Amino acid sequence: MDVRRRTFLKTAALAAVGSALPGCQRQTDRLIPYLLPDDEIIPGVADWYASVCSECRAGCGVLVRVREGRAKKIEGNPEHPVNQGKLCAWGQASLQGLYNPDRVKQPLQRKGVRGEGLFIAIDWEEGLQRCTEALRARQHGPIMISRPLTGTMSRLLADFMDALGGRLYYYAPDAELPLSAAWQESVGTHLVPRYDLAQADYLLSFGAPVLEHWISPVAMGIAFGQMRQGRPTTRGRFVHIEPRMSLTAANADRWIPIRPGTEGLLALGIGQVMLADHRFTWSSQQRARFQEFYHSVDLQDVAKATDVPTDVIARLAHEFASARAPLAIGGGTACAHTNGTISLIAINGLNAMVGNLGREKSAGIFPDQDRIPWLTEQAVLDLLKQQEKTGAHSSLLLYDSNPLFTMPPSVPVKRLFEQAPFIVSFSAFMDESTETADLVLPDRTSLESWGDHVAETPVRALGLSQPAVMPLYDARQVGDTILDLGRRMGFDGFQWPTFHDLLRHRWRTLLERQPHDESSDWFDKAWDAHLQRGGWWPERGTRLHPLTFTPSRGYEPAVLSGDEKEFPFVFYPYPSMTVGHGEGANRPWLQELPDTMTTVVWGSWVEVNPNTAKTLNIQQGDVVRVTSPFGSLEAPAVLFPGLRPEVLAMPLGQGHSSYGRYARRRGVNPVQLLAPALDSVTGTLASGATRVRMERTGAKGRLVTVERPVMEPSDLITISRSRES
Amino acid sequence: MAFSHAWHAGELKVDCLYCHRSATASRTAGIPSMQLCMSCHRNLSHETAETKKLLAHWENRDPVPWVRLQRLPDFVYFTHEMHLRSGLQCANCHGQVEQMPYTPRAASYEMGWCLSCHQAKDASKDCWTCHK
Repeated sequence: MDVRRRTFLKTAALAAVGSALPGCQRQTDRLIPYLLPDDEIIPGVADWYASVCSECRAGCGVLVRVREGRAKKIEGNPEHPVNQGKLCAWGQASLQGLYNPDRVKQPLQRKGVRGEGLFIAIDWEEGLQRCTEALRARQHGPIMISRPLTGTMSRLLADFMDALGGRLYYYAPDAELPLSAAWQESVGTHLVPRYDLAQADYLLSFGAPVLEHWISPVAMGIAFGQMRQGRPTTRGRFVHIEPRMSLTAANADRWIPIRPGTEGLLALGIGQVMLADHRFTWSSQQRARFQEFYHSVDLQDVAKATDVPTDVIARLAHEFASARAPLAIGGGTACAHTNGTISLIAINGLNAMVGNLGREKSAGIFPDQDRIPWLTEQAVLDLLKQQEKTGAHSSLLLYDSNPLFTMPPSVPVKRLFEQAPFIVSFSAFMDESTETADLVLPDRTSLESWGDHVAETPVRALGLSQPAVMPLYDARQVGDTILDLGRRMGFDGFQWPTFHDLLRHRWRTLLERQPHDESSDWFDKAWDAHLQRGGWWPERGTRLHPLTFTPSRGYEPAVLSGDEKEFPFVFYPYPSMTVGHGEGANRPWLQELPDTMTTVVWGSWVEVNPNTAKTLNIQQGDVVRVTSPFGSLEAPAVLFPGLRPEVLAMPLGQGHSSYGRYARRRGVNPVQLLAPALDSVTGTLASGATRVRMERTGAKGRLVTVERPVMEPSDLITISRSRES
Repeated sequence: MAFSHAWHAGELKVDCLYCHRSATASRTAGIPSMQLCMSCHRNLSHETAETKKLLAHWENRDPVPWVRLQRLPDFVYFTHEMHLRSGLQCANCHGQVEQMPYTPRAASYEMGWCLSCHQAKDASKDCWTCHK
């Protein structure tokens, strides 16, 4: 036995014991009493508040554990139908949004030139007055860019912008607009349907990141678990089609590494084989429609373009058609090309072919739910063109959205900001877009706010969120600010003193229509009951009405930007599991989470296929320069075998120039490389449509990984004994 | 700042729970808030040097940083609530506090000491009871 090792352990043990001896503290502990006691706080006893997580659009119910007035831990709310007691990492990390040291703590007024990021603190009265003056002085309708909202807050913002004669836009880089547009065009509903994953026995996923942050991640995870392990005799089979082995692909029974942008083509091929080899009960009209759509391409061409052999296509078609409960889902990279919507129509149509589409009869929870337009990159271009033509420049109101970081510079959204006569931001954090504001009227985080949230997937549920702690800083809930501004502007319908009053009013109207007891304080009791529960989710029976699927347009191949010879690689930026599109970068817990496939923490990297890396003499950790027709960046390379050789992948979310100490100057933002390639139907960014080239810089990068990184592509396993301990 | 339990608990006969309010409700007994001290100290007929210090703290909105006598390690789960519920008096563990002009640690509060009473009173000696 190695004597040195034993001695080392002994010494280490002694050192550990030495530091743990009681009474060896330099500083005696102190007990600090309250100045004024809080009636609601019993030291040592925790209070739990039900609320709704607002880190993404899923709207999972949460329970917040509060000790001595501090939020300590967030767990899922077991009663909430969306997440049923589970919670993802972003929900857990929302505590670090509440207690983040870089929050905007009071209203700010710009000092100096716009965009310099210099502000002076002002009080609320002054801030609101300045805002009111600026809005009164508007010559044209202002534009509000907000993260997507639902429920009472959505209605309030829409009303406010209507009263101003302006427009509200929702903006989210993960909106998956081609998916909803595809459904809208072919079936007539704009809602993303409820995918009954739990009951499926054959899941064919075209790029849809079912196990990552997609639509409603916790609900998807629960349903996936039920599909695979929830039934005693059926284990759902899962085939995933994507150019990269994402976490979702790694969990599939079969991963098909398709060529980027050809997902829709593959769906056409599969549909074609299904039409030829299987019997379906359709009307001749329907058959003709499907025939025309799915036979618009030749199977051999499909195989060549997708790099999926014809026998595999046939096998997928056969498996899909003969499964008892097949389900085809498209999304993610399938949406991220110029033919995104069209591809999704082809993919969605596979469900129609096997007859598993149905519409649940359901009345809207808020029957007057607004349809707010999305700020796509095309919308930005249209706005700029219009502004140029008419000379009318709109002021900007920003809420919790960061287009200056998540939209590529090749789309000149910055001009919208530069030309705006006045910019006010209601965000709680100083990010790249908020730094250009003339005025910041900071919001409170959701853990300090009232609100409701309408969840659509997997069930309709109306969540209620309430403040779990006293507000930390001199920030105000954005609902209160908007109501105040509305009153100052003299608008009708803004008479509610606070957002809490408006919320109660909306809920009263809603609950009045439901059966309730007739006592005079029925609403107060119902309100408290719903607050304690975390929301309202009435029991509903599900009845499916069949839908007609009509493919609305013919297939188009994806168009990639950049000459193939000059830019031989296809660039594949994907949202990071940990920091998303950038929203999570200021939460150190998320930064610490190793990336699921490469285990990298706290940085950016470029994933390169190991064979490709060998030909270019690139090793793990070497800094490479990736250049597109629109920009260039440098990052360390990670050799990742789960990647097509002609594809380079990078996670999104890092590379902030603002957004606090944990996010700033960390990594690089891949978005700067992207071409202004847009989906042909929705006009949203086709993030997978840019070609790049790559070269070594010769420098070695700082790559921090949790696991031993190098995976040599080899057929032999070498065992070597090491004499080191 | 010197605080005399002998004066407050002894002479003035202030009950333990008047100040250490959460002992029956929680795992910690709690220390009184400044407002509770001031409820009497607001108008005293006779001020000493120490009470003047208290008043100065209150004026400056500065809570008095009391010295903590001991801290149980994090792996020990001890509740005042359960012990009071079982019928123990404060003095059983903390000694004759009303006779103490200054407040030392009354016992070692080590596991052996806890167990000796658990043994005597036939309380649970299961590991999980205190090391949950």
